[in-house]
Amino acid sequence: MSRTAEYIRIVGLNVSYDGITPAVSNLDMQVAEGDFVAVLGPSGCGKSTLLHAISGVVLPQSGIIEIAGQPVGTGRGDQSVPIGYVFQEHRLLPWRTVAQNIAIVLRAAGISDEEIDLRIDRYLEMLHISEYRDTWPLRLSGGQRQRVSIARALAIQPAVVLMDEPFSTLDEVTARVMRQQLAELWQESGQTLVFVTHSIREALFLANRIFILTRGPASVFDVVDVPVARPRRYEDPQLTELEAQIVEHVMDEWGYGQPRAGDDDA
Amino acid sequence: MIAESVTPPRQITGERRQRIQAFAVAWLLALGVWQITTFISGGWVPSLWRIFEALGEDATTANIYAEMWITLRRIFISFGAATAIGIGLGVAMGLSRRVTAFFRPIVVMGLAVPDIVYIIVAILVLGTDESSGLIAMVLALVPFVVNIVIGGVKSRDPGLDEMSSVYRLQRHRYLVDVVGWQVSPALLAATRTCFAFSWKLVVLVEALSQPRGIGAQVYYSFRLLRPDHMIAQALLFIVVLRIVEAIMFGPLERKLLGWMQ
Repeated sequence: MSRTAEYIRIVGLNVSYDGITPAVSNLDMQVAEGDFVAVLGPSGCGKSTLLHAISGVVLPQSGIIEIAGQPVGTGRGDQSVPIGYVFQEHRLLPWRTVAQNIAIVLRAAGISDEEIDLRIDRYLEMLHISEYRDTWPLRLSGGQRQRVSIARALAIQPAVVLMDEPFSTLDEVTARVMRQQLAELWQESGQTLVFVTHSIREALFLANRIFILTRGPASVFDVVDVPVARPRRYEDPQLTELEAQIVEHVMDEWGYGQPRAGDDDA
Repeated sequence: MIAESVTPPRQITGERRQRIQAFAVAWLLALGVWQITTFISGGWVPSLWRIFEALGEDATTANIYAEMWITLRRIFISFGAATAIGIGLGVAMGLSRRVTAFFRPIVVMGLAVPDIVYIIVAILVLGTDESSGLIAMVLALVPFVVNIVIGGVKSRDPGLDEMSSVYRLQRHRYLVDVVGWQVSPALLAATRTCFAFSWKLVVLVEALSQPRGIGAQVYYSFRLLRPDHMIAQALLFIVVLRIVEAIMFGPLERKLLGWMQ
């Protein structure tokens, strides 16, 4: 089965919230079908805005965003290519149980009731949270809520899964376990995954390719392939070496080297 | 083990006792102040015993319950209409800037107009039949409901809006599952406020323009210089309303806010 090299195709993307200050500037990006890519950038550089644009939550000023050759939709009721999204915070409905939270998005995706039940069971089991099926989200820990959020994103069996720093609010041990599970899940599902992070180590551990962004407005500064075989270990010395190289590489660009022309003196 | 199992019940008992004491002191104080007022007024303010006698007398007559039923029916009509209109308008204003721009001045003016003005204008325009009073009450209540609901809708979590947009939730699902549940505490507060205001207004409208209902009976007792019956009728009606409120809002509150516990 051949896989599309440009499954996600972004060309000349410009996004601005107020029409004046650019958040994303002339960004180009191509992601192959079934690939796991990380988008790496410093805090506030426009990484989340890029995901918002890919998911259709934010309308770009100009540029092309296509998934599987189709332009992305723009919001509620739209029936374009399904996208799974894992937010930095879980964004579950606290007045709905775990199963109901997943069922709502599945129903919106037009899945039948019998299939909804099957999928809920399958994905909760996959994320080891089956026992919380009928629990309110407020009774779950941060890690468990984020697992539900991932289950919700995967359950619609989307063309693309977007993840916006999903483990940044978790404690380090939980985050490591979840990263490991995510890597395994991706290998099982083979879905196209775009993972936004500001952690170089996290990007190296999870992704096949890393799009390094400028410090803002976001555009692609460099693309790095991660030549490390899977399964990976978080403490792998090869990752440590690559991390040091990337830190060295982005130091100036992210504003920690020599001041650039036009930078504030303050 | 023993200390752990004994200490918490003692604390709870202590708290409960304090609450009962505070409740008893407040009631005794209120009754004492009333009795003192009776002495000071030289008998114009009825004594507690006279009120108690009037209560017994009124509670055993069938007429008072017929009047109560008339008032309750009016309350439910005005409360129902004002809540439905107020919640609908409040949600629309909370979600749309254009709708807010159109209705905001009307709501602000509506909040500032004294209730009595609505009643008088309704009587002048529509006469003294029942519908004029009901319309006046709905007009007076809607701005309060709208105001509370707008606050609830505007303070909703934008992250959940984003989530519903990403997952392409249909409009009605978004309104019910995301906005509706999120603003349910505000809706409940608006409904409770509306209910509390509506019965006070209904009684006022009845006293001013209607021949039947508890308000009319209270005013009738006042004209006959029977303040003991006036207060007894009001007290009886308050008791009935508290029961209605508990039956109506208790289960609703448990259903809408159960997830918070």
